[in-house]
Amino acid sequence: MGLEEKLPSGVLLTSVEKLAGYARKNSLWPATFGLACCAIEMMASGAGRYDLARFGMEVFRASPRQADLMIVAGRVSQKMAPVLRQIYDQMPEPKWVLAMGACASSGGMFNNYAIVQGVDHIVPVDIYLPGCPPRPEMLIDAILKLHDQIQDTKLGSNREREVRELETVALGATPLIDQRGLLR
Amino acid sequence: MGELPQVVRGFGTTFVTMFKHVNTEQYPEAKDKFPPKPRFHGRHQLNRHPDGLEKCVGCELCAWACPADAIYVEGADNNDIARFSPGERYGRVYQINYLRCIFCGLCIEACPTRALTMTHDFELADNGREKLIFEKADLLAPMLPGMLKPPHAMAPGTTAKDYYEGTVRGATPEQIADAEAQANPEPVVIEGVVFLDSEVTQ
Amino acid sequence: MTATIPVPADSSPPPVDGVSITVDGVPMTVPKGTMIIRAAEQIGVEVPRFCDHPLLDPVAACRMCLVEIEGQGKPQPACAVAASEGMSVKTQRTSEMAELAQRGVMEFLLINHPLDCPVCDKGGECPLQNQAMEHGRSESRFDLEKRHFDKPINLSAQILLDRERCVSCARCTRFSEQIAGDPLIELFERGSKQQVGIAEDRPFDSYFSGNTVQVCPVGALTSSQYRFRSRPFDLVSVPTVCEHCSSGCGLRTDVRRSTVLRRLAWDTPEVNEEWNCDKGRFAFAHAATPEFDTPLVRGDDGILHAATWPEALERVAEGLADARGRSAVLTGGRLTLEDSLAYSKFARAVLGTDDVDFRARPHSTEEADFLASVVAGSGLGVTYDQLENAPVVVLAGLDPEEESPIVFLRLRKAARKRQLPIASIAAWATPGLGKMFGTLLPTAPGAEGEALSALARGGDTLGSDGRRIAALLNEPGAVILVGERLATCTGALSAAAALAHTTGARLAWIPRRAGERGAVEAGLLPGLLPGGRSLADAQSRAEVAAAWGVSVDDLPTKVGREVDAIVEAARAGAYNALVVAGVDPFDTRRPDDVIAALEAVPFLVSIEVRPSAVTEFADVVLPVSTITQRAGTFVDWEGRTRVFGQVFRTSLALTDARVLAMIADELDRPVGRQDVAGMRKEAAALAPSGSGRREVPSVAASSVSASSGQAVVSTWHHLLDEGTLQRGDDDLAATARTAVARVSAATARAAGLTDFVTLSTDAGSLDLPVVVTDMPDGVVWLPTNSHNSNVRRVLGVDHGAIVSLASGGGA
Repeated sequence: MGLEEKLPSGVLLTSVEKLAGYARKNSLWPATFGLACCAIEMMASGAGRYDLARFGMEVFRASPRQADLMIVAGRVSQKMAPVLRQIYDQMPEPKWVLAMGACASSGGMFNNYAIVQGVDHIVPVDIYLPGCPPRPEMLIDAILKLHDQIQDTKLGSNREREVRELETVALGATPLIDQRGLLR
Repeated sequence: MGELPQVVRGFGTTFVTMFKHVNTEQYPEAKDKFPPKPRFHGRHQLNRHPDGLEKCVGCELCAWACPADAIYVEGADNNDIARFSPGERYGRVYQINYLRCIFCGLCIEACPTRALTMTHDFELADNGREKLIFEKADLLAPMLPGMLKPPHAMAPGTTAKDYYEGTVRGATPEQIADAEAQANPEPVVIEGVVFLDSEVTQ
Repeated sequence: MTATIPVPADSSPPPVDGVSITVDGVPMTVPKGTMIIRAAEQIGVEVPRFCDHPLLDPVAACRMCLVEIEGQGKPQPACAVAASEGMSVKTQRTSEMAELAQRGVMEFLLINHPLDCPVCDKGGECPLQNQAMEHGRSESRFDLEKRHFDKPINLSAQILLDRERCVSCARCTRFSEQIAGDPLIELFERGSKQQVGIAEDRPFDSYFSGNTVQVCPVGALTSSQYRFRSRPFDLVSVPTVCEHCSSGCGLRTDVRRSTVLRRLAWDTPEVNEEWNCDKGRFAFAHAATPEFDTPLVRGDDGILHAATWPEALERVAEGLADARGRSAVLTGGRLTLEDSLAYSKFARAVLGTDDVDFRARPHSTEEADFLASVVAGSGLGVTYDQLENAPVVVLAGLDPEEESPIVFLRLRKAARKRQLPIASIAAWATPGLGKMFGTLLPTAPGAEGEALSALARGGDTLGSDGRRIAALLNEPGAVILVGERLATCTGALSAAAALAHTTGARLAWIPRRAGERGAVEAGLLPGLLPGGRSLADAQSRAEVAAAWGVSVDDLPTKVGREVDAIVEAARAGAYNALVVAGVDPFDTRRPDDVIAALEAVPFLVSIEVRPSAVTEFADVVLPVSTITQRAGTFVDWEGRTRVFGQVFRTSLALTDARVLAMIADELDRPVGRQDVAGMRKEAAALAPSGSGRREVPSVAASSVSASSGQAVVSTWHHLLDEGTLQRGDDDLAATARTAVARVSAATARAAGLTDFVTLSTDAGSLDLPVVVTDMPDGVVWLPTNSHNSNVRRVLGVDHGAIVSLASGGGA
C-alpha cells in the first residue's frame, strides 16, 4: 500500500517484514461487526474479564477507516451482505477478516436462502472460528492464531510472489460445485 | 473522606483496586487455571473399547439428530480381513464439519453405543474451511495402554454384547499375537482399495 | 366418524355379489371374498400386519392382524378371514380383545428379535419398528437369552439373510413361489428355530430376488449392494422409469449426496404392480458418473484431446458442412423419446438425409416395414391388463423372462390365477415358459414364420397343442407377442401380422431395449417420419415439415438406407460424415464391418456418455448426460409413455437433443432450443394423424436347415449378461445364469458331443458346456452375450445362422 511495496527483496526486507509483522499484530484495531448472538461473546471478550486490551486491541472501532480487523460475529443475511462488503472495502489495507461462529463461517444451522452460506462468499476470510457462539477464550485463541499469520505476512516482492502462489492454488482448487461430502 | 478533593478520591479508587483480586482471566498464559466446566461441549471424540476396537457402529443416528447437518457418516461391513468394531457394522467415513456444528450435543444423546462424546478441547480456529472438516482420524480417541490398533479380531470367545456390557477389559494376548501375525507387508484389499497394513486404521 | 364414511346410499344397489358387514360399527358392503383387513382399509382403519400383502395369497403367518369377530370366541386374523354376510368385526380401535391380542403378538414377535435397529438397514422404514412403537410395550418382560444365529448368511451373491431379525411372515417365500415362480427359498424348522433357507447347492439366483428385500417387513433380507450404505432418513427419493428394457417399470431412485444408492420398484398398478427385476433394481452403476467431462476433439496427432464446447461444435460444423445429403445417423435403442425425435429431425431437416436407423442389432427390411405399418403410431395397443385377461397369448421369438421380465410376471400371474393358456414358438421350453405353465410349439430357428402361418391355418402341422391354440386365437382379446429376434427370421413378422389379421387377435411387438418403441414413434427408420408417417407421402411430409418449422423441400425425398446398408455404404465411401449415438458395434450382426465403417468414414461424430468402441474412432466426441442427470420419456412396449424427471437436478450435462440443437445452430440451420419441455410439445404436435401408413409386409416364410456336423443357431440374450449397462455390479453378475449350449439328444449323438461343444464360424469359435435338451434336431441354442458366449462378437452370426459343431475340450 505504501513504502513497503517498493522495498527490494533480500535480507533487509526479511527483517523489515518481521518488524512490520510484530507491529501490526500487536496493534490490531477491530471493526465491530456484531450481527447476532456471537456479538455478545465478542463484547464480553472486550470487557474486563477477558480484556482484549492485553493483546493491543482495546478499542473496537465503529469506523471502518480506522480499523484493520473485521470480526464478523453472527449470521450474515443476504440483505446485510452488500453492507458488509462495503464496510470491508472502506477499511484500509492491510486488513484481516475473522469469521466468528458457525453462521459467519458457513451459514451454520441456517442452511436456507436468507443466510449467506459463509461470509467467505463476500470477503476473503483469514481465520474461521467454530462455535455457537464461541466462548471468549475461543475468540482470543482465534485472534492469537491470526497474530501468528500476521507476523508471517510478507512484504513487497515477497508478498507479490506469495499472492501469485496463493492465486495459483486457488485457481487449481476444486470448484464448490464439484466438492463432495460435507463441503457441498 | 467527604472533604477530600475529587481527584484524590479518584486516585484512591485506583489505588485500592491494585490490592483487589484481579477479575481478568489470563487465558492463554494460565489456561490450566481456568479449565472449562465439567460438562463443557468441546470437540467430539470417537471412543474406543478397552481393546482398541472402535465403539462407532456407523448407525448415522448422530447425523440424523444433528440440527445443523454437520455430521456425515457412512457405514460398512466388518469382515474377516478387517474388523474395526465389534458386531457387523462400523463407521467407514465419519466427518464433522465444525463450521456447521453448534456444539449442542444432540449427537451425543443420540449415540446408542456411547461412541461419540465431547471433550474440553475448544481451540479449533483455523484458516481454511477444509481444515475444519474433521475426519475420523482426527476424531478418534487416542490409544490408551492395553489397546491394540484396529483392525484386529474381537477378543476370543466374546460377542458384541460382551463389549457393550464392559466385560472386555483390554487386548488379550491372542489378539496381540493375531495382530502381529497380520502385520506382514502383504497389502490388504478392502472394497477395492489397496491399503498397506500400516494405513488400515482409517 | 360415521359422518364421513361413504355408506352405500339406498339409491345405489350394492355390488352384485356383495356382502354387508360392519367394521367398528360402520356398516359397509364389500365384494364377496374381500378379506376383513381390506374392508377395514376402506374406512381408514389400519389393522397392523406383517405377512399380509395385497398381491400375495393370504397365509396368516404373523398373527399381528388379530381382530374380534362377533360370535366367535377367539380373535381371528383379519388378513385371512373373508367377509361374510352380516359379519360384525371389531378392530383394535373398538375391541379390547383385539387390542390385547395384538399387543400380545407384538410382544412375542419381539422376544427373539435382536433389536439392533441402529445397525439395521431397515431401521427408519421398518414396519416392525413402527408397529412396535404403536402397538408394543415400551419395555420387554423377556429377560432370558434370545435366539442366536450366524449373521448374515448369503442366500445368493446379492441377497443376505439375517435370521435373527426374521418374524417368519413368509412374504419372501410366498413371493418367490407365487409371483416369481422360483421357489428357491423356504421356511425350515419349527417354533423359535423357524428360519428361511435355501437348498445347500442352489443359491437364491432368481431374476426377481431383489423384490424379497423390498417386501421384507423387517431387516432380515438385505442386498449386498445397499447393505450399510445409508439410512432411510438420509435418502432423497425420486420417481423414475427403468432404462433397461421395454417393460417400462416405475422405479424409486434413492439418492444421497449425488450418489444413487438404491432403486426400488414403484407401485405402478397398470405396469409393474409392485415388482421389478434384479437388473432394474441393482444395475445402476453405469449411470454413476459420465466418464467424459468435456467434449473431445481428435488432434493432428490422432489423439482425442479435451476441448471446450465452442471448439468442439466448430469442429463438428466444419465436418458436417459438406455432408448435407452425404451423411447418416445411427442411434442405439436406448434413447428417450425426446432425443429420438431430435435425431429424427436432425437427420432429415439439418443433414438432409434419410439414412437414419436405430436398430444397432440384427434387423431386416421386413422388420422396418412391419414396424412402420403395425407398430409406429399405433398408440397404446395391447396393455398389461389385456395380457392378463386374454383368452390366449402366443409368444413368437420372445422369452419374456429373459427379455421383458414384467411381461413374464403378468403372464405368470394370469396363468396361475386363471389358467391363461400361453404358447411359445421357440426351439425349446425355457424355464420361464415352465413357470408360465405354457405350451411349447417346437420350432427350429428360421421356421418361426412357418409356425405362425400354420397357426393361421388352424394349427395343421403343429399337433394337438397347435390346433388348440389356433382355435383359442379366434376368441376376442387373444394376443400375439412378437420379440425383436423375429427380425432375423425371414417372413416371420409378415406371418405374425397375417395371423393377427386372420384371427382378429391383437399383435404387440416387444423389443429388448427401453428406447426402441420410442425410436419407432420418432421415425428413426428409413422412410418413416414421426407418428407413423411416411416419407413418401405428401400429406405426411407437409405435417412433419410444419411441426418442425422447415420447408417441405428441406426434407429428403429419397428413402434412405438401413444400418447394414449404411455400414456398407460407409465402407464404400458414400458418406462424408456419420453421426453415431449410443451404439455398441458388438450388438450388431457383423461387428467387424461396423468398426471398419467407423474407421473408413471421413468424419465421425460420437454423441456418447462413456468411452466405447465408437468413441475410439470418433473425430469429435460430444458428452451427454446419463439417465440420472436428465429428464425424459420412454415409450414402453405397450405404447404407454413413461415420463420421468431428473434425479440430479443440479446436473449441467446436456441431453442429446440440446447437443443436436447446438450443432444445428453452429451449422446455421437452427432447430430451436430443444429442451425437454420443447421436445414434449413437439412430440404432441407430431402425434399420429393416420396419414401415410405403410403397407403391412408380406414376405414369404423361408427356413434354413443344417447339414451334418452343423447346426442352426438359436440365440437370445439372458436377462443378466455382459451388457454395457450392467457393468460395475459384480454381485448382480454373480447371479446370472451360466452360459450353456443346448442341443437335442440326436444332434449331440450325431456330432459326438459329450461334455463340451466347440461352435465355430469363419469369424471365431466358442467353447461351451453341452446340455441335452428336448428340442428340434440340427439346432443349437446359446445365450447371445453371456460370459464365454458372445455370439455376435466372436462368431459374427446371429439367430438363424449356421455354425459347425465339434466336440470341445472344455474350459
